[in-house]
Amino acid sequence: MSAPSSSPRPSLKDEVRQALSAPSAPAGTTRAMTSDLSIDEELNLHSIGWEPVELVSGVSLHSIPYGYWNWGQGEIVGASSAHATAFANATARMLREAGTAGGHGVVGVHIERAIHPTHVEISLVGTAVRPVDSTRRLERSVFASDLSARDFTMLMIAGWEPLGLASGASFVFAPRRSMSSTIQQQSQNIELTNFTEAMYSAREAAMQRMQEVAIEMNGTGVVDVKVQEGPMSFASHAVGFVALGTVVRLATPTHQLIHPTMVVSLNDSSPAFDAQTLS
Amino acid sequence: MTNSTNDLPQATEHRLEELEKGLFTSDLSVNEFLLIKEVGFHPVGFVMGSSIYHTGLQTRKWNQSQELTKLTEAMYNARELAMTRMEEEAAELGADGVVGVRLDVNYYEWGKDAAEFIAVGTAVKAEDGVSRLNQLGKPFTSDLSGQDFWTLRQTGYMPQGLVMGTCVYHIAHRGLGQTLGTTGQNVELPNFTQALYEARELAMTRMQDEATRLGASGIVGVRLEEKSHQWGSHTIEFLALGTAVTKTSEDITLVKPTTIISLDN
Repeated sequence: MSAPSSSPRPSLKDEVRQALSAPSAPAGTTRAMTSDLSIDEELNLHSIGWEPVELVSGVSLHSIPYGYWNWGQGEIVGASSAHATAFANATARMLREAGTAGGHGVVGVHIERAIHPTHVEISLVGTAVRPVDSTRRLERSVFASDLSARDFTMLMIAGWEPLGLASGASFVFAPRRSMSSTIQQQSQNIELTNFTEAMYSAREAAMQRMQEVAIEMNGTGVVDVKVQEGPMSFASHAVGFVALGTVVRLATPTHQLIHPTMVVSLNDSSPAFDAQTLS
Repeated sequence: MTNSTNDLPQATEHRLEELEKGLFTSDLSVNEFLLIKEVGFHPVGFVMGSSIYHTGLQTRKWNQSQELTKLTEAMYNARELAMTRMEEEAAELGADGVVGVRLDVNYYEWGKDAAEFIAVGTAVKAEDGVSRLNQLGKPFTSDLSGQDFWTLRQTGYMPQGLVMGTCVYHIAHRGLGQTLGTTGQNVELPNFTQALYEARELAMTRMQDEATRLGASGIVGVRLEEKSHQWGSHTIEFLALGTAVTKTSEDITLVKPTTIISLDN
């Protein structure tokens, strides 16, 4: 066999460089896209003239200074602000990635949150999307939404548009009951007002923060709000409340009715009644 | 606002004021949101009520089936507190009702017998400006999802309120003599059967009484939940929950549903 032709082998360096520069290719060029959408979701997106561009992610870890979870009163400011900063940073990183890839927004954002005694960890993964015919640069900022591609499609059909993710978190110390009142109340039906109040203050602060983010985005509403609450696993005297949702705004002059059709599925349904056994 | 009529904290008032300026929050999914809009309602806010409650003690006799009235009372009181606070938030927002209500009980490590009772839902308001408050002049509540609410409205019914009945019941243990006597036999255990029957009946009757008070013509989506909470295996809470509905005078032509066979699992 003859020696290999003199045409130079593609060097690894060039390959890497090309891969890295791919996301910043101008919108409209044809190249492979990545996305974690199902086939159905992709069809849904195409039905309203949008297409996936790139799988994007953003991660942020933020430290909580030592000693914040110890005994105290009122809100645990360090933890609340760490959560807010981590969430904002992770979102910003994901949006920047989406922006360079030519996306106009990120849908189906999968949110992983973990609160540890010493740090807050937020990681976001979603699919950047854009209108198929978009060759122009985006005039408004890239949006993020945890709505699935299907939900995003429905929202667009009804004349609404997502503006971004809003989150609010608050961590508050729950006052302990004194030994004497614990014993006194042992046999009584009674509301524990101090706990109720602690829970309320965490809840109100978190919801308030979420609403402020929404107002800042000029949104008219927050849909699909998910809340998580309860004592922290590592500090039962501290309660946390986290609220998360997608900020939306009416994009058309009026809401478009969707006129659903009533259907009866002929598939077998699951049993509705299940009495538990005495064990 | 009407501060004197409710016991909501200051922070809540502040949050609700912000919502009155036009922003809405809601835990409805996009589909539910669109269906609520479809039947002429607009979400106004995510409302909640909660109460952390300490349940008292009651002695139970090992071999006697009986209702534990003190515990029943506690389950009622705590849920009422949570529900009322949620309704107050909705009333403050000028809402006509609350849909997608979920009632939950959470146990935390704050002490034995202490539990959080929580009620959350999305307050909605009719877009035509006509009041849809229930007979008692309060916002209606309903545990129906957005999809169910849409379907219910197609039939011309209107939810009046989330009604519930509860009964905490202690079911007697079987004596040694009884156990030995029935060994090896096919036999019904009448004391167990009877106790379960009675507890269920009590819970159901109480739920129906609540519906009658609302002037409802029926209860839809009834669920019967049986939970032991933290009382051991022979003490059970029977909770009946449903949405009381009344027929409105609207002219309704029922849509004939299309039958489909879904090809996915």
